[in-house]
Amino acid sequence: MLNSLKGLLITLKTTIRKPVTAQYPNQHMPVQDRYMGFPALTWDKDYEEPYCVGCMVCIRECPTQCMSATMMDNPLHKEGKSQRRKMVEDFEINLGRCILCGICVEVCNFDAIVMSHEHEISTYIRNGRRADLSELLKMGTRFQEEMHWLPPSKIAKTPGIAPSDSGHSGDNGDSPNQLSTSTTEEDPE
Amino acid sequence: MDAIKSFYGNEIAQVVIGLFALLTILSIIVLSLVWIERKYLGRLQMRMGPMRVGPHGLLQPIADAIKLVSKEDIMPDWVDRWVYWLAPLVLFVPSFLIWVTIPSSPTIMLRDLELGLLYVIAFSVVSIVGLIMAGWGSANKYGVLGGLRSVAQLISYEIPIIVVALTIAMMAHSLNLLDIVDAQSTTPFILLQPFGLFIFFIAGLAEVGRTPFDIYFAESEIMGGPFIEYSGAHWAIFFLAEYINTFLLAALIALLFLGGWAGPFLPDVVWFFIKVYSLVILFFWFRGTFPRLRIDQLMGLAWKALVPLSFLNFIVTACVLFYGWPNWALSGLNLVLLVGVFAASYRVMNSKTRTPKLNLVPAREVRRA
Repeated sequence: MLNSLKGLLITLKTTIRKPVTAQYPNQHMPVQDRYMGFPALTWDKDYEEPYCVGCMVCIRECPTQCMSATMMDNPLHKEGKSQRRKMVEDFEINLGRCILCGICVEVCNFDAIVMSHEHEISTYIRNGRRADLSELLKMGTRFQEEMHWLPPSKIAKTPGIAPSDSGHSGDNGDSPNQLSTSTTEEDPE
Repeated sequence: MDAIKSFYGNEIAQVVIGLFALLTILSIIVLSLVWIERKYLGRLQMRMGPMRVGPHGLLQPIADAIKLVSKEDIMPDWVDRWVYWLAPLVLFVPSFLIWVTIPSSPTIMLRDLELGLLYVIAFSVVSIVGLIMAGWGSANKYGVLGGLRSVAQLISYEIPIIVVALTIAMMAHSLNLLDIVDAQSTTPFILLQPFGLFIFFIAGLAEVGRTPFDIYFAESEIMGGPFIEYSGAHWAIFFLAEYINTFLLAALIALLFLGGWAGPFLPDVVWFFIKVYSLVILFFWFRGTFPRLRIDQLMGLAWKALVPLSFLNFIVTACVLFYGWPNWALSGLNLVLLVGVFAASYRVMNSKTRTPKLNLVPAREVRRA
């Protein structure tokens, strides 16, 4: 019977505690830094164009064949403003088909694709989650800003900056501005 | 002649209006109990409980009620038609009619019955018939099991309840609930009869089938027992009766042990409802804490512990009253009984002989022998 009193005390304690519930649609729980959500395309702020050149490596390696892309000549390259000869014209990922394996990120030679933090894909229409280039770039840019993302190849080549576990640098420990030839402040817009 | 006619006319009108008001108030109370139960159990499990319908889910019970009433009322082919239809009424009407004599203040009650306590107990026994009618009429294995379990449980736990109620009536020299409350104007009976309250509380929980004594509709074993085939409005009536009974138990404890509506500053009715609602929350706390008993444990608790202890308490109280010993002797003896029960249960729970040690013999020893 004393044990019963002990049980009552325990439930009293849990009653006083704050509920752990998150009221989902109104309140989103943050995801972990290394969370692998849907793939997204990154934006090169130095040249104001996507990193992606449309080389189709990711598309060939994708096990579920959920992506497609087309390549075009880069108009900025002709003017001498960019070193990329080609750039992506259109890119589509069927997020409903993607299995989040991350192979596209591993095979990409241009740091152009990342596993973003996006994970809520419900829509009201069939095929509503066919993300096109602009949406993928939007997702990617959001991820870059959220994580202070740096291209992994740049981190690997530059001595003095310890590559973090996750492949992109952490918060503000070492300033990313030392690396880049032009800082983000000088960019137009 | 006209005078008689108008008198009876008034009388009937009063009865009708009173019963209707009672039904309305009880329905509102049941809705509030459902909300409190879901909210409290939620907090107990560190959830929030209903939050969507209305502010803090206040309108959730109303939404549930509308859903229940508008649901299809299914009657399986094989049921015993009359018994099946009548069972909810046989369960609901007595538990509703008990409230005719429950006072929530010296003036607010429908009928002041001289044998109020007897009336309450007599009518609460009728609900057993409703339960077994529901189980038997459903012609369902789980239903019959639940019905038989309910009979076994309710008849066993009726005895300690009656004996404790009798003890209280003996101390108050009356079966009238108003007189019983008046008798507590100096000292509420919780101080004189803590052990009686202990027995009444446990047996009462079993009597209204609250967890941990809900074996007759145990959802995880017999899936609702007697209520298994019911749906829609008929199930809603069972539900209503169950919550009315819970509230009745809380009201009875408040009236018999906590001094009814006595209390400083606030009006009578407010004090009554404060006491009753706190008791109801105590029931929900028990529900959130304890696991369900097995049927043999349940019957053992009734016949080996509560029945003899309630008789012991009855005899002790009778002696004290007969020899005219002072009040502190009564409360002292009661406390001794309470502490004794706690100590005995502690010794039984922690005794080494309770769980026999397994005497495992290695296989090769067996072969040799």
